[in-house]
Amino acid sequence: MKDIFMKAAGISAELKAVCGCPGLVESAKAVQEKADEVVKIRTACRACIANCGVIATIKNGRVVKLEGDPKNKMSKGRLCSKGLSGIQALYNPNRIKYPMMRVGERGENKWKRVSWDEALDYVAVKLMDIREKYGAESVMCSTGGGGNPQFTSIPRFCNLFGTPNWFEPGSAQCYLPRLLTYNLMYGGDDSSIADSNALEIYYHEDTPMKAICLWGVAPSMSCAGQGGGQLAELRAKGVKSIVVDPRMTPDAAKADVWLPVRPGTDVALQLTWINYIITNKLYDEEFVMKWTNLPYLVSTETKECWRAARGNGPGEADTFMVWDKKTNSAQPLEYPWNDAYDVELDGTYEIDGVTYKTGFRMLVDRVSEWTLAKGAEVCWLPEDKIEEAVKLYAENTPGGLCIGVATDQSPNSVEAAMGANIIDMLLGNVERPGSLMQRFGAKKPIDVEVIPFANEALPYEQLCKRLGGIEYKGLIMWQTAHVPSCLEAMENANPYPIKAWIDRSGNKLAVLANGDRWVKAMRNLDLMVHMYTNYTSFSAYCDVLLPTTEWLETNYVQKALNTVTIRQPAAHLYETIDEALVWCLIGKYLAKHGHETMQKSYDPEFMGHNYTNFDSMTECMEHFTSKIGMTWEEFKTLSNEAPYEYASEEEFRTYYLYRELDESGKPRGFMTGSKKCEAYGEGFITLGRTGLPYTGKALPPASEDYDPLPKYHEPAESPVSDPETAKEYPLVMTNGRVPYYHHSTLRNVPWLREIYPVPEIWVTPADAAKYGIEDGKWVWVESKRGKIRAKASVTTAIRPGTVYMERFWNPENLNSDTHGWQEMNVNMLSRSEGPYNRVVGTYTLRGYLVKISPAEGAPEGVWTKPSDFKKWLPEYSDSVPELTSSEV
Amino acid sequence: MKKITFVIDLDRCIGCRACQISCKQENGVALGACRNEVKQIGPIGTYPDIQMYFLPAMCQHCENPTCAEVCPTGACYKDPSDGVVRIDRNVCIGCRTCEGACPYKVNTFNAELRVMDKCNICESLRAEGETPACVKNCAGRALHVGDINDPDSEVSKLLSEAGEENIYTLRDFGNKPGVRYILRRDKWIDVLPQDSDKTKGVAEL
Repeated sequence: MKDIFMKAAGISAELKAVCGCPGLVESAKAVQEKADEVVKIRTACRACIANCGVIATIKNGRVVKLEGDPKNKMSKGRLCSKGLSGIQALYNPNRIKYPMMRVGERGENKWKRVSWDEALDYVAVKLMDIREKYGAESVMCSTGGGGNPQFTSIPRFCNLFGTPNWFEPGSAQCYLPRLLTYNLMYGGDDSSIADSNALEIYYHEDTPMKAICLWGVAPSMSCAGQGGGQLAELRAKGVKSIVVDPRMTPDAAKADVWLPVRPGTDVALQLTWINYIITNKLYDEEFVMKWTNLPYLVSTETKECWRAARGNGPGEADTFMVWDKKTNSAQPLEYPWNDAYDVELDGTYEIDGVTYKTGFRMLVDRVSEWTLAKGAEVCWLPEDKIEEAVKLYAENTPGGLCIGVATDQSPNSVEAAMGANIIDMLLGNVERPGSLMQRFGAKKPIDVEVIPFANEALPYEQLCKRLGGIEYKGLIMWQTAHVPSCLEAMENANPYPIKAWIDRSGNKLAVLANGDRWVKAMRNLDLMVHMYTNYTSFSAYCDVLLPTTEWLETNYVQKALNTVTIRQPAAHLYETIDEALVWCLIGKYLAKHGHETMQKSYDPEFMGHNYTNFDSMTECMEHFTSKIGMTWEEFKTLSNEAPYEYASEEEFRTYYLYRELDESGKPRGFMTGSKKCEAYGEGFITLGRTGLPYTGKALPPASEDYDPLPKYHEPAESPVSDPETAKEYPLVMTNGRVPYYHHSTLRNVPWLREIYPVPEIWVTPADAAKYGIEDGKWVWVESKRGKIRAKASVTTAIRPGTVYMERFWNPENLNSDTHGWQEMNVNMLSRSEGPYNRVVGTYTLRGYLVKISPAEGAPEGVWTKPSDFKKWLPEYSDSVPELTSSEV
Repeated sequence: MKKITFVIDLDRCIGCRACQISCKQENGVALGACRNEVKQIGPIGTYPDIQMYFLPAMCQHCENPTCAEVCPTGACYKDPSDGVVRIDRNVCIGCRTCEGACPYKVNTFNAELRVMDKCNICESLRAEGETPACVKNCAGRALHVGDINDPDSEVSKLLSEAGEENIYTLRDFGNKPGVRYILRRDKWIDVLPQDSDKTKGVAEL
């Protein structure tokens, strides 16, 4: 395809001819004088985090059509409802069009238009003032996955500003637990489909995969255009699938076995699987012995592996002790293996008064109580279905287990990711064709990072002040603060006050647990700033609003297998600015007002590999394109022809990377300290004590060691752990995606809201009868923390005793007293209090107790009929409206 | 004779509704109206013997279309050249007789233009050699379109691969619906699209 503006009288036949065959450009140009100007560009969606390829048709400067890009290697021409609705998001009347300053009180939601200069100056002066009075750490920033072009801008800004405090409502509640755990135990990519990993699934034509397990993940809901479509391909070619999910998602409906697990008990089920796999010798003995650390001897006192010698410098593995059956003694095993030994996998030994066990024995001791019967009892599942599922998965290798966001949303988060790792490591589902754990691209990598974190800019003493950072050291992988600790600091100035909050994302009040606590705590803040595409509930409580671009207005690059996908603007409206640039602009104004590091952020020597702050997105994108010898304009032209291939498929799609010999003549192994798959997660102990390997200089230890093996913790508020609460609140709540929304975004898009106008609460016919609920009628949903409404869907697609709801808010009520976040927001009910995950501090968004009762009707003011959403349709006109300075 | 219609592999449909939105975008379908709508069939049964599938429902391009039969002006007609049932907006008087006549309720009234509206298998796109919007963007690659009377067409091949025993149409009232549904994993439920809600959460039908 050519990036050409052509005269084609609006006749798309001509357009197609020209696009398909550059030789016809001349004849097309001659068509008519008064022709429409039509152009097609290749770009990429960002309605969620999947970056599906998009062809955008632009007519007279207006985007008129979006469709899937068949040349995109991952989306392959598919585009889901969220992406296809991009035009209605772009031209939405609810957009923040200009910088706005509050008039009247916070929460009144009254605004006046100001210039960018005035807004940025106001923010910078306030930030400098707060830094002087309270310290840089009193400034907190946040972002979110919704429509986010790149979250690294936020930690970069914070590091340069000098505050360690930023967060995502996700992080410990979304993806970080999995990313961290796979990184520590395996060192390669995690197996998350929704996060564009598990890349083996994109080669459905020839993958030898026999089984796939979707654990708390529904690609059909979260990423229909990529993973959802690929799962359909895999099932069609006969790959067996097992789905673990309390609700019957489309993927569960099409699975060979569906396990509707009780929310929050996933780790119990994993331990049951592991015990079954070990007891029935279904594991891959060769792989477990030679390529995991399970044969290594572990001191039962320190829980550390017994090292004979440390490796000489980085990149060389330590030498660990194993038990040799030939000599009946402990022997040092130099990496990678020594055939002279007959190594014992499963044993316990007393040596010099210390009890040592192999890692395998440590694992067996941990899981041996988890019989099928116990798993069935705890997880509320039939024994025979658990057995059928684990057998199907274990006996059909190669395969892969994709663990999704579900387990990240309760305090067992890291444990669940550990369990997933161990299952695939035991089965040898690592880097073989057909498995999900892979390091594709590692042999010919390309660095597409254009906005590096700049961690070096944050002083060590500031890093030590990160809220929750010492106790929950796993957070350091993303350099993020602990969300409930941020709330505590806002509420009670403990251990110090938060005085400013700059947020960039959809609607924090819909995705954080207990929005009411956050809103109350905001009163203690001197500055509240929201930068976003649209007005949200959060904006109503702010002082300054900064308008940012929609994905159809932004530039970016993202890898898609062996290619680089481009995102480039199809339009640009109002006074919106790419958020990546907005963070730089705030930095620039801070520099003007004397911020030393921000002043140095333009010094190439100071910034080094982190690049200097930039003045335009072209400059930013050329951080990447300069590496391949191109300008951004040249890259756009090239990308319009076809996505840029940085490696051939053969170079990219490599298997058994760990077996390849490196310069030392030894196999390169895995990217862990031992170069083995660390099914015994010793790295967690080191992490808790020091923060290594994610910090250059060790941090003070957490109050207790992290557990190197997964352990099941019953949810704090469940019918089992808290029967007293369960008397009044008898049902267990879970959440999960619908295909029409991503996090808190898109609730103002007519095409999507008419499909799913209000959140459903799924309840079984038996539970509905018990509590007087009727299908399609309004319901009160209450927890100990709040009370909201939802519409009942009486269905057997949810397990008995459990209810399901997805997050929701109502932009139509922005100007009401509720600002739209209190009516149907399931996170009014969830728990921001502990217990938290030991490693990353996850709190409870799923798996707590609620009760339901019939409600009279819908909350006041909410829209439910398709015609209601007309107010949010783009206002079509012949041209994009001119800006007028008087417009407010 | 040509017979252009949809062949839909229900084992592949993941209920994402990209087809609905892409149709709205391509054809400017009004809010509240739909040329195609994905219906959920089920869940039927009790765990673990339970099933659910999705059914994209659009004009079935019947062999003997009831809608064309009752149309007083001839606006609604079956094109003999390709078997597609069309509505000529310039001739439609918006009397809505065909709306009542369609056994599957897959045609809708466009209140703004005061004419009836329904799927014509993206006539304008096909004229340019492109595939219909719903087919193009379908995430599960469930939707296919082509000439089922041409044994060499992709859709004919899909049908022969699926086997007679796995091919279904909506209930035939003598109108002979044209759209072919393939279903192997689940038991076909003989329910009209407009009644799909009645299948949700029932023990059996």
